Amino acid sequence: MAMPSNKIKNAKLVLLGDVGTGKSSLVLRFVKGQFIEFQESTIGAAFFSQTVSVNDESVKFEIWDTAGQERYHSLAPMYYRGAAAAIIVYDMTNPASFSRAKKWVQELQAQGNPNTIMALAGNKADMLEARKVTAEATKTYAQENGLFFMETSAKTALNVNDIFYEIAKRLLLQAQPAPNPSGMILMDRPADGTETRASSCCS
Amino acid sequence: MEASSRRSGDRTVLEPLMEINPAEIAGVSPATPLSVRSVALSSVSHPILVFIGTGGGKLLLLSLDPSSKSIELLRSVSVSNRPIDSIEILMEIDRILVLSDGFLFLIDRLLLQPVRKLGFIKDVTAATRRVGFGDSLNLDFSGDGLLKADVSSAGQRLLKKLGGGIRANGVKQPRVSESQRGKESNCLIAVAALKRLVLIELLVTASSDVDSDYGGVSVLLKEIQGVEGVKTMTWIGDSIIVGSLDGYILFSASTGKCTPIFSLPESSGPPKSRTLLKSKEVLLLVDNVGVVVNDVGQPVGGSLVFQYVPESIAEMSSYVIVARDGKMELYRRKTGTCIQSLNFAKSGSGPCVVANDEQQSGEVVLVATSHKVTFLCKVSAEEQIKGLLRKKNFKEAICLLEEMESEDEITEEMLSFIHAQLGFLLLFDLHFEDAVNHFLLSKSMQPSELFPFIMRDPNRWSHLVPRNRYWGLHPPPVPLEDVVDDGLIAIQRGMFLRKAGVDTSADEDFLSNLPSKAELLESGITNIIRYLHVSRNKDLSPPIREGVDTLLMFLYRALNHVDDMEQLASSENSCVVEELESLLGDSGHLRTLAFLYASKGMSSKALSIWHILARNYSTGLWKDNPISAERDLPDVSVDPITGQKAAAIEASKLLEESADQDLVLEHLGWIADIDQDLAVMILTSEKRVNQLPLEEVLNAIDPKKVEIQQRYLQWLIEDQDSDDIHFHTLYALSLAKSAIEAIESTSGSTNFKADNERNVSDVVSGSENSIREKLQVFLQASDLYDPEEVLDLIGRSELWLEKAILCKKMGQETLVLQILALKLEDCEAAEQYCAEIGRDDAYMQLLDMYLDPQNGKAPMLNAAVRLLHNHGESLDPLQVLEKLSPDMPLQLASNTILRMLRARVHHHHQGQIVHQISKAMSLDAQLARIEERSRYVQINDESICDSCHARLGTKLFAMYPDDSIVCYKCYRRLGESTSARGRNFKQDPVFKQGWLVTR
Ligand SMILES: Nc1nc2c(ncn2[C@@H]2O[C@H](COP(=O)(O)OP(=O)(O)OP(=O)(O)O)[C@@H](O)[C@H]2O)c(=O)[nH]1
Ligand SMILES: [Mg+2]
Repeated sequence: MAMPSNKIKNAKLVLLGDVGTGKSSLVLRFVKGQFIEFQESTIGAAFFSQTVSVNDESVKFEIWDTAGQERYHSLAPMYYRGAAAAIIVYDMTNPASFSRAKKWVQELQAQGNPNTIMALAGNKADMLEARKVTAEATKTYAQENGLFFMETSAKTALNVNDIFYEIAKRLLLQAQPAPNPSGMILMDRPADGTETRASSCCS
Repeated sequence: MEASSRRSGDRTVLEPLMEINPAEIAGVSPATPLSVRSVALSSVSHPILVFIGTGGGKLLLLSLDPSSKSIELLRSVSVSNRPIDSIEILMEIDRILVLSDGFLFLIDRLLLQPVRKLGFIKDVTAATRRVGFGDSLNLDFSGDGLLKADVSSAGQRLLKKLGGGIRANGVKQPRVSESQRGKESNCLIAVAALKRLVLIELLVTASSDVDSDYGGVSVLLKEIQGVEGVKTMTWIGDSIIVGSLDGYILFSASTGKCTPIFSLPESSGPPKSRTLLKSKEVLLLVDNVGVVVNDVGQPVGGSLVFQYVPESIAEMSSYVIVARDGKMELYRRKTGTCIQSLNFAKSGSGPCVVANDEQQSGEVVLVATSHKVTFLCKVSAEEQIKGLLRKKNFKEAICLLEEMESEDEITEEMLSFIHAQLGFLLLFDLHFEDAVNHFLLSKSMQPSELFPFIMRDPNRWSHLVPRNRYWGLHPPPVPLEDVVDDGLIAIQRGMFLRKAGVDTSADEDFLSNLPSKAELLESGITNIIRYLHVSRNKDLSPPIREGVDTLLMFLYRALNHVDDMEQLASSENSCVVEELESLLGDSGHLRTLAFLYASKGMSSKALSIWHILARNYSTGLWKDNPISAERDLPDVSVDPITGQKAAAIEASKLLEESADQDLVLEHLGWIADIDQDLAVMILTSEKRVNQLPLEEVLNAIDPKKVEIQQRYLQWLIEDQDSDDIHFHTLYALSLAKSAIEAIESTSGSTNFKADNERNVSDVVSGSENSIREKLQVFLQASDLYDPEEVLDLIGRSELWLEKAILCKKMGQETLVLQILALKLEDCEAAEQYCAEIGRDDAYMQLLDMYLDPQNGKAPMLNAAVRLLHNHGESLDPLQVLEKLSPDMPLQLASNTILRMLRARVHHHHQGQIVHQISKAMSLDAQLARIEERSRYVQINDESICDSCHARLGTKLFAMYPDDSIVCYKCYRRLGESTSARGRNFKQDPVFKQGWLVTR
């Protein structure tokens, strides 16, 4: 049971990715714990909310599940504008969807908020025999672009809660105010990395 | 959101009211056709005003009375000779704004005055009025400076054109003075014309001349330039959202700053937007998708996906209505669910428009094609639900109810009403659990409404049952059993019909799995119990409370829930005893009945039952009690011992509180037979207000039950502090008697003691000891008994110590000493007694006894020596010498004398030692005092008096042992014994390490 949280942080989260990569399925799994084999393609965008507890804090996600259809691409900026986090989803059995994911990353980097936490989800990880996108390639790409990456499956629930949890954790970390001592300042620290020396007084 | 959930059962939210042919009503000949282009509705006044704009530039005003379904043409005016594109009702200034032929026209609401053209602005493509948040937006029309603002990336510029003066086309503006502004009403509109956006404030002042240019309306303007191709526009708060073929852009009315919301995909239809007044949001259309954004352009909630690209959109409470091509659909705004779709015209009958007065309740909706106008009316929430309930579509009804509740569309009162109605329907459909769940959700339902289901009418509560038949959708109440019977018959009929191929509304669950009557009854009773149980916590009138509790007991009994019955009967309850008495008695629920009597203060009846129960258990009568055996009642299935004891315990609980002497004494006997402790508890209870008469109680106690008597007396004496000599004597005698009996039985058993009985006798002597101890303690402690009487009793027994105590009480010193010294040979006690007497001659008398015990007993020389050793100083040596018998052996005599003399010397030395030790301590204390007084104290500039806080400076000061410092003045005031910190050394002395005398 979750402890009564003393802090609840609201966070706008957007899912982006090609048609049929499983954005709606991931959200459905995360919010309702369900999976539907014949999930209808999203039109416009759907909205959900779900709260995640991290220790004694909570993050209430306001989730925008966008449509992957190209026709609604122009709506996307409205949804990722001001988002605290974005999950870019590709289907690991479909290389084209991975290329599309990279385009989304680019677009976010160019248009979006620089503080947006970006996660890359390689979905349908249950279909290992049909894998077309290797984890290694993605990992390197993710590292280079400062994304965190997980292979997920909405079908088996693999890593679904984890990816949201990880985002929540990072959001809370981000939200932590920089340590700002209110007491007196004991010494002037040099700006560069000489702290180690300054901290020991006897040597 | 799954798309599947977007379809809901076909509901009837809107219901057709009437259809008209506007040409007919307008009385135009079929030769000059009249086509509807735009519509608006105003329901502020009654009847409703309907405005219809035609393709030929005419504005028709109709009045509609929805209740009588009558409609008539009030007026018709010609606005222009081009189609009327839009009609906007400006409520605030009571005018109608019409867009036609690229111009705006103003006209009064009843079309009585001439139409005024706002000639200063042409090529208008869209116009909208502002929807505020109850605030007033200050657009600062009056400033003089030409404010140029870069309007973001799009590069448009905000141009502040006019300070409320004259516009280029020469229209003269009556400049309104500030004093006049107070009485005005105003309205803001935004107009898109060619490449600019014009914000206009329309003012109507009380003083303005009706004949002025715009019919009493003054106009103030402000412009945002470079906005092109505007097709649709809405204005909420500070945000003007503009839709062009490229997409939607948000302008701030105050700063001119613009932000794109989203662009439209290629080859999508024209933009269309609609203000959602209820939530102060805007619906933006892209293809068949409605995206809702708030006043800052942020999306709100999931998209609404319509079945087609709507031609016209309207808002009605929490629904969005869309129309196209003779069809219209109703969507729930929050969930995106399509609630209702209906056709109002043939497909292919041309463009259509839908409108209602969304500023009011908007419950009359108008939808029109070119030649036909249809009015629809909102079916009230109640009617919608009633309709569903009539069709026994409970699921859908509940769903609708929940929706309405979450949208706040239903009053609390109605909600309660519907839950109750639903509950009754479900009850008659044998869904008892669901039924009660709904009953519980109804705040207005009375528990008495369920009474007729439990007890056949007429009964004690019949007149309390409200005659609330709700919507009359269910039969009148009948006892639950009848409900179940009728329900089962209905199900069977349904099965039969089903087999015959007839469609029935019978319950699927029941048809496939028919429950038994017993199961249904049990479920019904269990659930009604649940309801009554919850009702008990409500604020009920006393008669209803009685009904609830009594019927609850009824139902518990029906299920034979004995624990619940007893729990209810023994806790605070409002059961009506007369209703339950015979019922419980006949069914053998005697314990419950006894509890019930007790809780109603009918102790005597309760006690008789407990008595009967106890007797039944003990005689084994319970075994062949036919009723109980048959019904397998837990009452009697307990083992007889505990059952009997339980009865006694319950009875004693009652008696402990009862001050009814007769009742107590009547029942004391049988309870004592079962458990003496209980009897004692009853007698000695402090719970009763008035004490029982003591004498009667004592007389009533069975003389054979000595323990009860003794404990009662003990309680009287020890706890009640009784001073009655009689009781004290009685108690002493009783204890003495027990002690004697104990001794006799011990000595008796000692005689026959076999090895294997040793333990038993130990126990007995144990109880002998405790009783004797009790006796001795009492004899010592009490001065109120008659010692002679007691002495009489124990005279011949071996209770010597007791005798000594009694003699002591009677002041017979010699006798006491004789018993102690000679009989008991307890030197210590004897010496102690001498000390109590406190006279030296007592010691001498004792010595005498030791030396000459008489009765042929040998002198107790050792005791005598001991006495001299201990108390030699109190004895006169000469007298002692005289007492010594002449035939005493010299050795012993010298020993005796020596002891006595030594005792005297020893006594003297002891005194000297004490004296010296005291002296040493005194010296120590003096030393400590000197040390304490010679302490150094450092005083500086900051030192202040602890009492008056004045600086000490060079003043005289004093220090207390607790280190507080005061100036001399304060010292005089406070005195020596109380320090400035308030410590009083007399009451609370100071001890410091080193002062304590350790030697
Ligand atoms: N095997 C497998 N199938 C999945 C998984 N996730 C989604 N699917 C299937 O993939 C199809 C598309 O899933 P959606 O969730 O609709 O994809 P989407 O990204 O929301 O698609 P759009 O809304 O059109 O952008 C559905 O048939 C899902 O059942 C997964 O983890 N494993
Ligand atoms: Mg989707």
